[in-house]
Amino acid sequence: MISYLVTVVIFVSIAALVGLALNLQWGLAGLVNFGVAGFVALGAYTLAITAPHVGWFAGLALAAAVCAVVSMLLSLLTIRLEENYLAIVTIGFAEVVRILLLNLGDLTGGALGIADIPRPFAGLTPAGWGDGAILAFALTLVVVVFAFSEALVRSPFGRVLRAVRDDATVAAALGKPVLALRVRAFAVGGAIMGMAGALHAFFLTYIDPSQFTPIITAYAFMAVIAGGRGSNLGLVLGAGSIMLILEATRFLKDVIPGIDGVQLSALRLGMIGVGIVLLLIMRPEGFVAEPHRRLADFFPPESEKA
Amino acid sequence: MVLQLLLNGIVTGLLLALPALALTLVFGILRFANFAVGAMLTLGAYAAYTANVLLGWPLPLAAACAAASVALAALLAETLVFERLRTRGSITLLVASMGVSLVIENFCRFTFGNAARSFDLAVARPMRWNGLRINHEQIITAGVVLVALVLLHLLITASPLGRAMRAVADNAALAAVRGVERRTVARITFALTGALIGLAGVLAGLDRAIDPLMGWNYQTPIFAAAILGGLGSPIGAVAGAILIGVAEEMSALILPVSFRQIVSFGVILLLLLFRANGLFGAKAIRK
Repeated sequence: MISYLVTVVIFVSIAALVGLALNLQWGLAGLVNFGVAGFVALGAYTLAITAPHVGWFAGLALAAAVCAVVSMLLSLLTIRLEENYLAIVTIGFAEVVRILLLNLGDLTGGALGIADIPRPFAGLTPAGWGDGAILAFALTLVVVVFAFSEALVRSPFGRVLRAVRDDATVAAALGKPVLALRVRAFAVGGAIMGMAGALHAFFLTYIDPSQFTPIITAYAFMAVIAGGRGSNLGLVLGAGSIMLILEATRFLKDVIPGIDGVQLSALRLGMIGVGIVLLLIMRPEGFVAEPHRRLADFFPPESEKA
Repeated sequence: MVLQLLLNGIVTGLLLALPALALTLVFGILRFANFAVGAMLTLGAYAAYTANVLLGWPLPLAAACAAASVALAALLAETLVFERLRTRGSITLLVASMGVSLVIENFCRFTFGNAARSFDLAVARPMRWNGLRINHEQIITAGVVLVALVLLHLLITASPLGRAMRAVADNAALAAVRGVERRTVARITFALTGALIGLAGVLAGLDRAIDPLMGWNYQTPIFAAAILGGLGSPIGAVAGAILIGVAEEMSALILPVSFRQIVSFGVILLLLLFRANGLFGAKAIRK
């Protein structure tokens, strides 16, 4: 039971990381990324391929760097066009990643995947505590990325991104480098997705292409929408509750008679789809709305000044 | 060999033309790319499978049933989802269409499972003509698509409905002033494009096995075709689809077959780099 809970918490951490990244790209900067699964896979495979040679930390850094560079290139191609194009390119990118992973057998092991991925601190943890170490590592990573995202939202960079999201023309007229800002936001998000993929690989120590389906993308969108676009706190709550609901629905099998595994997974995924649509229609601001600063926050009225 | 690939490519392209056209028509009127195209294609194939195999209807009747079912599904998606989000901008609509896509795909998976299925069809010997192998399925596909394209062309250019559609696509506000209701036009367009996609689903089911992910495999080529033609341009979408089909089949000459699906993505990237407006130069896609 404990090991099951540890697994759930680690999956929540991975989902939270992916969600934080998407929240940065879509929630904060208004850039839709439908290729989330592709970036996570790219991060996981970069780590799995490089870590045995350069160590886990350099592997993690490489995973983040590779994803950042790829995100940058994809966004550079499309970012001067309408939103639709970035979405199309990222969805195609995820497909290409999947096909390459399956077919570049020498590098990726094809459908068999890569096994024996080294874990961080592997030599330092006592036997049987390997998952505990990963758990601590995952939580640390989430806390660090969360703090980083929060700082980013409050920084001038975050403010400008929101301005660009809400009205790119006005931001450009104020002399803000709209394209450069968008590319940077997309790259930072990509790097975080790469790290989430690396964490995935660390935890399972075995990866294959079937682990990185568009479902990851759907979860991430659901988490961002449920949590409230632009709100990092809401996002972590959203990612947590979605994973909990998903885990809970595993037990539906015991409740509904005559349902098989495929139907159950279809039901769960369909629920995600319905959830996305319903939330968009009924509660577009999510459960924790993006904090809006008013002028008064910066210049308190005379009466409040002590 | 080259001629055979060219022939196969043209037929594949014709198959892509219907959903690409559907995508581009919706984009023209509502300014958003409907990501549920692939899932709707899958739904069409399963609807025809239900009529053809489970109920034992002949294939033409099954195809009509598929077109009607997907048209209904598209109309439902429009009235229940997209219409309510109309004012929220295209990103929200994109994400919503992804949600709709998940629902449709998993409805199919829930009902029919993951196993691959196919229509109840007698296997016919391919015809030979000057060394070319021509399947009956290819002739059916080409015939059906060409007829559908001609009818659609007439509808768009020569009917009051087509005029209304073009008016809304061109300038929705002005059309509204002249008494053309965007909502009604959008609903009709969705139903119409649903029928096209459903038909394409049946043709795709003739070509390959029917499974819940079949539409997903067409997604990138469909988008590539629509972009190649310039999003929003109907003739462009057809031409783009044929080019993409030929490019995919021809790639077998230089690439392993398993890399075929990368071709469409490559075409998209090249286009965005060099000619983002597509070959037929639809306007106003830049920010």
